[in-house]
Amino acid sequence: MATLTQVGRSVPRLEGQAKVTGRAEYVHNQRLPGMLYGKIVRSTIAHGRIVKLDVGAAQALEGVHRVVTIDDVLKVVPNPFYGPAFHDQPILASGKVHYVGEPVAVVLARDPHVAEAAAQLVEAEYEELPAVFDEVEAMTSKAIVHDELKPAGTFPDLKHLKGKRDTNVALDFHLRRGDVAAAMSEADHVFEHTFRTQQVLHLPLEPYVSIGEPTDTGLTIHTASQSPSFVRIEIARLLGWPENKVRVKVPYLGGGFGGKLYIKLEALVAALALLVRRPVKISLTMEEQFYTLTKHASTFRIKSAIKDGRITARECEVWWNGGAYADIGPRITQKSGFTAPGPYDIDNVSIDSYSLYTNLTPAGALRGFGVPQLVWAYESHTDMMARALKLDPVEFRRKNLLSDGRPQATGTLMKDAAIAAVLDRVALRMNWNGPFERGSGTVKRGRGIAIGFKASISPTTSIAIVNVSADGSVTLYCSTVDMGQGSDTANAQIIAEVLNIPAERVKVVHPDTDVTPYDMATLGSRSLYHMGNAVRLAAEDARDKLAALARELGLPEGSNVPVAELFQKKYKMQAGNIIGTGSYIPSYVPPDASGQTPEATPFWMVGGAGVEIEVDTETGHVHILKLINVVDVGRPINPRIVETQISGAAVMQLGFTMQEKMEFDAGQVTNASLADYKIPSILDIPTDMQNEAVEAEQGSGPFGGKGVGESGTFAVSPAIANAIEDAVGVRLTALPLSAEAVYRALREAQGAPLEE
Amino acid sequence: MTPFELAEPATLKEAIALLDPDDPTVRPIAGGTALMLMMKAGVFRPGRLVSLRNVKGLTAIEPMPDGALRIGAMMPLAALERSATVRAHAPVITRTMRTLSNIRVRNVATIGGSLAHADPHMDMPPVLIALGAQVVAASPAGERTIAVETLFAGYYETVLARNELITSVIIPAQGARRAAYLKCTTRAVHDWPALGVAVAVESDGTTVRDARVVVSAATETPTRLDGAEQALRGETAGDALWRQAGEAAAAEAETISDGQGSAAYKRQLVRVYVARALAAALKPDGAN
Repeated sequence: MATLTQVGRSVPRLEGQAKVTGRAEYVHNQRLPGMLYGKIVRSTIAHGRIVKLDVGAAQALEGVHRVVTIDDVLKVVPNPFYGPAFHDQPILASGKVHYVGEPVAVVLARDPHVAEAAAQLVEAEYEELPAVFDEVEAMTSKAIVHDELKPAGTFPDLKHLKGKRDTNVALDFHLRRGDVAAAMSEADHVFEHTFRTQQVLHLPLEPYVSIGEPTDTGLTIHTASQSPSFVRIEIARLLGWPENKVRVKVPYLGGGFGGKLYIKLEALVAALALLVRRPVKISLTMEEQFYTLTKHASTFRIKSAIKDGRITARECEVWWNGGAYADIGPRITQKSGFTAPGPYDIDNVSIDSYSLYTNLTPAGALRGFGVPQLVWAYESHTDMMARALKLDPVEFRRKNLLSDGRPQATGTLMKDAAIAAVLDRVALRMNWNGPFERGSGTVKRGRGIAIGFKASISPTTSIAIVNVSADGSVTLYCSTVDMGQGSDTANAQIIAEVLNIPAERVKVVHPDTDVTPYDMATLGSRSLYHMGNAVRLAAEDARDKLAALARELGLPEGSNVPVAELFQKKYKMQAGNIIGTGSYIPSYVPPDASGQTPEATPFWMVGGAGVEIEVDTETGHVHILKLINVVDVGRPINPRIVETQISGAAVMQLGFTMQEKMEFDAGQVTNASLADYKIPSILDIPTDMQNEAVEAEQGSGPFGGKGVGESGTFAVSPAIANAIEDAVGVRLTALPLSAEAVYRALREAQGAPLEE
Repeated sequence: MTPFELAEPATLKEAIALLDPDDPTVRPIAGGTALMLMMKAGVFRPGRLVSLRNVKGLTAIEPMPDGALRIGAMMPLAALERSATVRAHAPVITRTMRTLSNIRVRNVATIGGSLAHADPHMDMPPVLIALGAQVVAASPAGERTIAVETLFAGYYETVLARNELITSVIIPAQGARRAAYLKCTTRAVHDWPALGVAVAVESDGTTVRDARVVVSAATETPTRLDGAEQALRGETAGDALWRQAGEAAAAEAETISDGQGSAAYKRQLVRVYVARALAAALKPDGAN
């Protein structure tokens, strides 16, 4: 490859100045003429039939424009159910409510305070039904969340579930490889453990917000969304309209993390705007985010056979707590489920992964798409085995790692996955084989490592348009959403590399489905790879067309005439465009009945972590002294942004590991505020945090690059639990690793358990 | 937020007259850092707020003839933090400020407000109880002096009448007494405390003559622990005694379960932090 000048350079973010000077555009700040504000009335019970919904008092309040229920919605959307995997979620509760916080009505007013006051006057009466909250109980529970399953049909492998009754299992994924039973019986040792994770949530500092705006030709939706193309297609489907009547515009996002995907408020504001023929805005409060989407709580039973220090078989049973609506949970169950055995070379594998409905806030994608839950279990389990076998945890892993060319559990051969390099760099930065100070008195020290991997969601499509104007300036049209991850800058660098211009001179047009072409969504670390490839192809197409223009004008090959002069020569003035287009979809083979496929993913993401900690044995407080994060991102397109993505992901997972937990009482979140649900502050972040991308290259990626947004999350949780056992000899199997949980485990180990 | 009346009287007398002994929707507002949160959450919907920010004469820090220090109720916490007089009189207050909420809150929140709000998670109540402080309160019935120790009637409740205002805080001369405040958070480094422990110890270097031990946050109201104090009185200072006092405190404290921890775990925190606070108060290097 020729020397790269734009790729590999830490170009300052294109939008940096606009953001720090407060000029960047967000839906949250948007106001339209005549706009009404909507306030959602939410269910106060976890499961029940709506007996009565009295909106009279709310409607009578001065300043209230209208109170809307599902009966009104039906006038504009006859079949008001949406969702990416199942059409299970109603625009407003229809007959039943399925979780505390489910929207049952909306009050519209010019003044948002009036809407809020009126919302409290809506009276709902319910006939309560038995509810189920735990994902394992949901497997056999008599409480059934949905009377009938309604697969969306978007995913062909879910069609067999259509019309299924009396089950909470939205999807079950099974993988079988080799002979697990035989390997277990021939093993030197068999280990079995069960691990759990808790409900947490995305909490972007810009909560969910959407505006519906009726127009002469259809409907415009201004929304803080990670998936504008999906929103357009799904709203068009709900309305029975052609796609081009729905325009979806997305400016910058104040964070997304997987929350702002698919349909959140968009279907609701669309219906409201069409009902009242005025723009309608709904901005959720920080508290309402707790009733919108969470990360899946999970239970993972894992069992491994060891022979001669090698893992010869692994059996995985994973239950995902999907909450009341499936959202993208079924994808997580399958696409992440198949990586449940971890980045290890194991001949005999069985996986059973279940997506369950429960009467809690729906769960969806959250930075890692299920993988952090899996790594938490398999890397805790791996460490426990190494400890029991008196093997060094790094050596034990090294001996069992998957290497390129070897089949993963799906049978797909590993390629461009720097698993061993990541582990080596973690160990090196930890000085793993050096002496380690163990602390004294009531403060004990320990260290731990972990490594995880993830497949990309496949197959998905990205389309890009590169427009070269008559003066040679370049504009990119694509529907990738820059929600803080730096995609605008990275895409500009890829174009700049192809067209040999400075990245700073590329303009990126933000998603507007009237203007920017289709993209599956900004999720799962897919954009740099998929959109990056599409953008590269579009830039190459433009470059080829410029070369063709030069030939057409009779210029000799390689004459290097400035682009502006080409246009001038062709059109006799500053006029015209060259439009380059690029479209990318990786090859993919769906898994067979045993979960086997030669092409499960276009690329692998790898993340490792190492920590040094101190534990206060009198209180259980864990202080993280050092956190090392090493990932494989292929070739970093923008090293500085890569570093901040690694650290941002790690800090987010640190919060999920040590601090964050949604507390429930009969399905009601009891800590739905930032005062009681604590995300990490600067004081919770280790002072020594090191972030590294190993030297690697993704052969099929744009300029050797691939995604980075999630890899820093993978290994943080088990690395810390492993360090806790190293420090004080107790093993925690449920997140979060709170001081009280550590202290209780210490007392348990002393044979003097603390009373409840 | 629904509309309400905001009064900004210039004198204490006017302020008291604007309050209503029988109407819970009429409340005084000082810095407003706590009250505004309650209003935003819809927990408190005011009919009238009586702002004290223009009331004259509530912002002095003045030494009194008997060696005590009088602090006006409307003094912002950040002003106490920076006051050399306060530091000389009770350095524990200066140290406590550094971890009390954040500078934005300290710039606005007042000493009087932090007592009148009666949130058991606040840091100043246990510290002031340990220092033996009193408040002066004014109402149409006149002025009275109340020990901070007896100010709190329950969770977010004081013994003050609805039309009674704290006008100043009086901190007696501390003499040889040395004090420390430690707080323990369980969900994040920066959080409401799961436990606050304030101690003030009088000793001749070897024997403890007198001690005050106060816990907050883990209990319904800031509470003096008599058993722990008795365990200390007349005994030989040192780690063994601090541990004994911690045991006595743990046996005595009526801790409550909430999102920050179970009652049993908080009892353990009391055990550990009382001992640590005592050690910190008597640390020989003069750090306290």
